[in-house]
Amino acid sequence: MTAGRIVVSGLTKTFGPVQAVDGLSFVVEPGTVTGFLGPNGAGKTTTLRMLVGLIAPDAGTATIGGRRYSDLPAPGDTVGAALDTTGFHPARTGRNHLRVYCTVNGYAPCRADEVLDLVGLTDAATRPVKGYSLGMRQRLTLAMALLGDPPVVVLDEPVNGLDPEGIVWIRGLLRDLADQGRTVFVSSHLLWEAQQLVEHVVIINRGRLVAQGDLIELSSSFGSLEQAYFALTEGVV
Amino acid sequence: MATRLVAGELVKLTTTRLWLWLLAAAMALTALYAGLNIAFTDDPENFAPHMSTPEGQRLLFATAATPATTFAAVLAAVGVTGEFRHRTATATFLFTPHRWRVIAAKLAVYGVVGAAYSAACLVVVAAIGVPWLAGKGIEFSLAGGGLPGVMAGVIVTGAVFGLLGVAVGALLRDQVATVVGLLVYRFVAEPIVTSIPALETWTVYLPGVAASGLAGSVLENRSFLQPGQAALVLAGYVAVAVAAGVILTKRRDVL
Repeated sequence: MTAGRIVVSGLTKTFGPVQAVDGLSFVVEPGTVTGFLGPNGAGKTTTLRMLVGLIAPDAGTATIGGRRYSDLPAPGDTVGAALDTTGFHPARTGRNHLRVYCTVNGYAPCRADEVLDLVGLTDAATRPVKGYSLGMRQRLTLAMALLGDPPVVVLDEPVNGLDPEGIVWIRGLLRDLADQGRTVFVSSHLLWEAQQLVEHVVIINRGRLVAQGDLIELSSSFGSLEQAYFALTEGVV
Repeated sequence: MATRLVAGELVKLTTTRLWLWLLAAAMALTALYAGLNIAFTDDPENFAPHMSTPEGQRLLFATAATPATTFAAVLAAVGVTGEFRHRTATATFLFTPHRWRVIAAKLAVYGVVGAAYSAACLVVVAAIGVPWLAGKGIEFSLAGGGLPGVMAGVIVTGAVFGLLGVAVGALLRDQVATVVGLLVYRFVAEPIVTSIPALETWTVYLPGVAASGLAGSVLENRSFLQPGQAALVLAGYVAVAVAAGVILTKRRDVL
């Protein structure tokens, strides 16, 4: 199954003097939860934003099922991206925020209520987002990503701001999505959390790939994921 | 596709209240301008033609143009810059990666909303002007004396400034800078430069002054472009601003 495969090839981006991403290549397969790990500032967010066309790479390509994001006929139906927990108008309610994008994508308005229910925000649906906690914004961001029932889900630090209950919940949700055959690619800088969440890892440091592969194999060859991570990222946190 | 994007922009517009507050501001300012025009029409030092003449009545209705266009432009600019201020641009461009389509949908929505702001402000002028002038013994028909042309001009300028607001917002992206810039330009900078007679050959081409020309404004101490010329000038501003706004929106990274 290659429809949901993410292929990043030679991706490069420079912001002024900063080389954010430097010749990065990796593959993410469907049906697994793949962790995208690296220290703060390693280039994870820049890479994810290049993957979905929000940032234009200086060089290289990123494809999803063989197509660049901007070439996807219906991107909302193919890729769900949860990238920004602050991306809401404070005065708009959670439901209305989702309704905007239901309208744009041609989904029935009731789809907004379905995903709100899925992420556990039904009770807060009619409240303005300015009253949401970080955990609730995280859930609303996830609801946006799931709006189009997409085969590929990309999440940037989805665990931030969630309480322990929420963390257990999202772990189960991502597991379910992968078991349904979807591609789940999730960035994190929390190793302990990643260890509970992912089967495969892509580890980057200073914009470059340092390791990719099976979590268990990688962990066992270094003793643990933590030892592997620090060995590979030279202790830079 | 296109209609869904336009519908989505309408949901964005109507799920917050700003359009209502800015419409109220435009109508209140129109009421003030219309009231002052009528109240001072008998003043011998007034440069405006007397309200008993068709020229005076046309000017009265043309006063709706400045409040309607200014607040329509501000609303439109907020509709674009808000995407960056509140970071909703991420979701918007995720679902619509061809960003020019988002700009096109916003142009469609805010063009129509700008025309509607103008229409609402014209209603305010009629509601104040007709009974007040009748009380002064001045009777006139809204369908005569060139008034339909003035009203059409005011409505077109509202649409034009809705389009300009979208384009300027897309160019500048910073909400505070765009809104303050638009207000200062329309209420401070433009009135100051247009009050300098030596510059009049050039100032008639400024957007707000051209809009007044399109709306058929008449003042004894000032000149304006003919409506046809004014329409051409404004079309030029819209074309340049929209092209620049689209190019920059496509090129800039959404961080």
